[in-house]
Amino acid sequence: MATTNATINIDSAITDSALLINNATTLNLAGSTTGVNTMTSVTKTLSSENHVDLITTGSVATTHAYVYINNPSTDETEFFHIGIGNVVGSGTYDDGTLPTEEIGRLYGGDFMFFPWDVDDDINVKPSTADDMVIEFMVFS
Amino acid sequence: MATNATLTLSSDVSGDPVDVTKSAVLTKDKSLNDLDQSTGLSRVHLRNATNKTLLLANAEGNDLASKVYIINKSEDAGLYVTITINAQTVGKLYGGDFMFFPWSQTDTASSIEVAATSWTSSTGDIPIEYVQFHEDTDFLTNA
Repeated sequence: MATTNATINIDSAITDSALLINNATTLNLAGSTTGVNTMTSVTKTLSSENHVDLITTGSVATTHAYVYINNPSTDETEFFHIGIGNVVGSGTYDDGTLPTEEIGRLYGGDFMFFPWDVDDDINVKPSTADDMVIEFMVFS
Repeated sequence: MATNATLTLSSDVSGDPVDVTKSAVLTKDKSLNDLDQSTGLSRVHLRNATNKTLLLANAEGNDLASKVYIINKSEDAGLYVTITINAQTVGKLYGGDFMFFPWSQTDTASSIEVAATSWTSSTGDIPIEYVQFHEDTDFLTNA
């Protein structure tokens, strides 16, 4: 059985007493102790400010996945709007009832890691029309 | 007062093992200046399958940088909580799993909500720990 481990370390000196977080988890299929068995790893270059799908639900066969997204830019002013929601009509991500929700801005050098319920697509909108590289991995 | 985050992923799902290590210094919006505020690490015990607000969105938070870490401290791999932002489900956090992500707070409806979806009176509480790092200059008085 395949094994995928994720470890996070956060150390913060914001407060007078430092905060240290160290946790590890094994990525399993939904609600089980069986390890995930599928992995996708993609690097893309986006060259417009268009709002586009990054990871579609159709690309994953399960209803539970883990997603890692990285903005490898070294320019702190370049970022991606990362959202969840399906495109509707002619390219809009707002169907008037459940618009795509922006999770956050992924600045140059930043990463994110989260569980995804594979109910709606993960979409992205670059902050600039200059070439911007985005990397992601999906485990399911 | 820097805050550093490092994620390591190691997997043998593919024939050739994959090891990814990524580190980031948490900085303010479009800046190299460190994030300088934190909620501190908090712990709550969930015992309700309906959505509860974990972090309340602040209108001032839009256009500012913020990072959130959440972990499900349950030791039962089958016990999960559902993470939602503005009615949009992000994912299910099973026992032992964590997430780390930037949070935009695009408007006051963008609060992070959590529901102990798999909780029943016989499962016991689901403990959640979380922390937010942010740059909002007046977070508490405007919350």
